Amino acid sequence: MLVAGIGLATFVLLLSFIGPLLWPVDPFALGPHSVLSRPSLAHPAGTDDLGRDSLARLISGGATTLTVAIPSAIIAFLAACFYGFAAALGPAWLDRLLMRLLDAILALPSLVVLIFFAALTRLDAAHLAALLGLVSAPSLARLIRNEALAQRERDFILAARQLGASPFYIARVHLLRVMAPILVVNATFLVGDTILALSALSFLGLGVQPPHTSWGGLLESGLTVAPLGAWWLIVPPGGMIFLAMLAASLTGRGLLARAGDRL
Amino acid sequence: MPPWARTALSRIATAALSLWILVTLTFFLAHLTPGGPAYAILGMRATPVGVNQVNMRLGLDVPLWMQYLTYLGHLCTLRLGYSFLLNQPVAHLIVMYAANTLLFTSLSIVVGTLAALAIGMVQGASWNRWPGRLIGAWQLATYATPSFFIAGMLVLVFASTLGWLPAGGITDAHMTEPGPLSYARHLVLPVATVSLIVAASLSRYFGQSVAEELERDYVRTARAKGLGLRDILRGEVARNALRPFITLLGLYLPALFAGSVVVETIFDFPGLGWLLWHAALQQDYPTLIGVVLLIGALTIVGNLAAELANAALDPRLRSRTLA
Repeated sequence: MLVAGIGLATFVLLLSFIGPLLWPVDPFALGPHSVLSRPSLAHPAGTDDLGRDSLARLISGGATTLTVAIPSAIIAFLAACFYGFAAALGPAWLDRLLMRLLDAILALPSLVVLIFFAALTRLDAAHLAALLGLVSAPSLARLIRNEALAQRERDFILAARQLGASPFYIARVHLLRVMAPILVVNATFLVGDTILALSALSFLGLGVQPPHTSWGGLLESGLTVAPLGAWWLIVPPGGMIFLAMLAASLTGRGLLARAGDRL
Repeated sequence: MPPWARTALSRIATAALSLWILVTLTFFLAHLTPGGPAYAILGMRATPVGVNQVNMRLGLDVPLWMQYLTYLGHLCTLRLGYSFLLNQPVAHLIVMYAANTLLFTSLSIVVGTLAALAIGMVQGASWNRWPGRLIGAWQLATYATPSFFIAGMLVLVFASTLGWLPAGGITDAHMTEPGPLSYARHLVLPVATVSLIVAASLSRYFGQSVAEELERDYVRTARAKGLGLRDILRGEVARNALRPFITLLGLYLPALFAGSVVVETIFDFPGLGWLLWHAALQQDYPTLIGVVLLIGALTIVGNLAAELANAALDPRLRSRTLA
């Protein structure tokens, strides 16, 4: 499972980032003479309603999607670690305050929060990555806090506290090491979550804005010409999201199975 | 005061606190971001004078804390403001659109849950053999497929290519008095999309708990007494595996709503998700905030109800929820 997941992830990453070298076609070049043409040798994935090459757009959409989604997964992971450890190791009132706040935030599905923010201001790629990261963090933050609370009572950490170690030292040296397996597994799942959230947001026209391409945006524009039966504009972007999610999920589950006896 | 009453009160107080935090957060976020409704209303014609006039008309020229208190007062009397996009009171709009979402979501939950129970039972009974493994692969594939891709494929096959079903909307535009059949035909594809996702994700949990129940001693005893697998499954195993499943269903509802935002937009189905999306695209703040608060409030109240119901049903949980 782990091997399949890593293999798929490599494929998706290579296609998106090395792809432009192998298929050096301009994704924005209009082709007035080849509007909505079926897949052929000249256009292996066909062309869209403005005659642009779909394969080139798929590759550039992948690069955009992954350069936003992967950093935002890292932001989400760091934010969740910070929040969770602060709640678990800080004073009791801080824990209570942070958890109440989390309850209120978790009452809203993350997609609804994203739509709310995207409506307030139009976001560029950097802000989008930051927002996506912060919105994806809460449930992992709670998981880390609960796990850290349980680990905190173990003898070696009690001993470290007796010796006067600061909460930062305990989090950095002890908790990060003990919780490494569970953290790595959840970080992998986070990448899948952010890819899905970004694609949904772009699909709704609130994420990556044109002229930039993204898998979600490509799928949306493909669906507008669905009545013409242009399957080659719908299946490839949807399939890429599927493969990326499958890669994250398989890798995460594979790691979980490996870590099973260490948890 | 008896302990259970104190538990209930503290739970209700916590829920009220969460609700207040949610309202406050949305209010300040919406009011502190640059731009604001005046610019959204005036658009290209925004001049400093015009913006001032709109702000005065909307009561946005008084200090923020006074606006906040007025806002809280209005919320308590369920006055949610006026949608300048659809030219109607937001509360009225929400009631109108919620009816469609309620119909669509409850149909999807019923279909999806029934399918999940049947599939989970088969999967649990054959956990490490071929029907179970095949079902597991199907669940993983459905998990990895975004709802808008499933919906897109259904539209492509059943609406564009075969032409059996409409691609979107809620009734046929050419009919002046659409009958129930017209509504039903428009519901098929959206309900199929969501119930497929519900069935895949819920059946995984149910299948796993059925498989775990089958390992227990009472199952071995029942088999030793000569009961067939089918009878054991239908009797004790189903009942025991169902309890965690019901809790899960409660936790799952908000996620389901988020999914329906995307599905409603694809099928142009006028429900709450569609309303939220349009309000977001057009920066119609009163509607946007109204729908967001409704979703949050429903989740908080739903969680509270589930917790209180669990405590009432199971005496062991009554004291535990105190912690």
